[in-house]
Amino acid sequence: MEVSVGDVVMPGDTVKDITTITKKETIILGPGLRREADTVYAYKAGVLRKTEPAVYYVDSYQKRYVPNRGEHVVGIVTQKSSDIFKVDIGASEQASLSYLAFEGATKKNRPDIQVGDLVFAKLLVASKDMEPELVCVDSHGKEKKLGILSSDGMLFTCSLSLIRKILNRNSPLFNMLARSQAFEVAAGMNGRVWVKARTIQETIAIATAILAAEYAPLSGIKKLCSDIEKTLLLTQSGNVE
Amino acid sequence: MSANKTKLSKSILEMKFMKRTKEKVEKQQFQEEGEEYFGNELTERMKKDSERFIIEPSYIFCEKLIDGRVSFQGMNPEIERLMEEEQKNECVKVKEKEETDISDEQMAQNWKNYRKMTKTERKYERSLENQNNNDESLPKKPKFLKPQY
Repeated sequence: MEVSVGDVVMPGDTVKDITTITKKETIILGPGLRREADTVYAYKAGVLRKTEPAVYYVDSYQKRYVPNRGEHVVGIVTQKSSDIFKVDIGASEQASLSYLAFEGATKKNRPDIQVGDLVFAKLLVASKDMEPELVCVDSHGKEKKLGILSSDGMLFTCSLSLIRKILNRNSPLFNMLARSQAFEVAAGMNGRVWVKARTIQETIAIATAILAAEYAPLSGIKKLCSDIEKTLLLTQSGNVE
Repeated sequence: MSANKTKLSKSILEMKFMKRTKEKVEKQQFQEEGEEYFGNELTERMKKDSERFIIEPSYIFCEKLIDGRVSFQGMNPEIERLMEEEQKNECVKVKEKEETDISDEQMAQNWKNYRKMTKTERKYERSLENQNNNDESLPKKPKFLKPQY
């Protein structure tokens, strides 16, 4: 079946817009689309979207993470061997993380990481035939936002589409929550979110807000945040008494 | 076409002044050999490959997503500093665009007009000169005088 932008697509549908365009324009095919000669097929179920100038992709609901190069993920260290750590990133295979891929790490000065620790890392290699490889430094050897996540936070998993929703530039969620409380979030594209706030109640409140945002429209997020703020205030005053 | 073309003989190619031609011929030969050798390895799909499409497997580019590591109200000063820096960089980029109140396109258009104008002006001036010459022959340029010592 032929589909156009905004339609619900099923795997095997052909994208009408691209087949009819005769202009010599480079088209970027995002996740969910693949090409066979000059026809473009969808291979995921979802909604076909287009962003300027000519980026087409399928907006789908998904929970299984498939690693992609350059994405930031939250991983759990599961194994320590002589020169690499094995990290579970929720993909089909465990990723490897070299102990040298940390800021300031040398052969003698190893990073202090134990099995069970959380890391926020970037995917350097992600191919379907090879083991994914992580790094915790950028190309200049600086840690920037990557690295080990402290153990006094909380980790939870959610769908990949929710991650995309909260990480969108236009999403007001974080800014709304930041009005009333201090917190820190590391959201990986693999559907794992690590949150940390001043108290346990606050941490739970942030986590609830993020999870509740999945089914809230953009306009409803403001109300959602103020509701959570109120509940939090009530529980805190209850604790004091 | 290459089959019909008479090939230059080896001895001619060896000559000194044929160096560049020799290189060209050798390159062509190499290309042909390669095509012969790997021709049957190319699949139908590879031949049809067009350069119209770029495959981008990540949502980050498609939806312009942010990094995913954020901190607010002093929870992690290091992260907040980095976030602020990023924001500043973005602001600078936007400002740079805004500061030039004439865009490059406008400038180009303007220069085009300018050139046209100068051409027409020159013509006009020339015609004026001609008229002057005809009407009341301009006073002759003073002759060059040899300096006398």
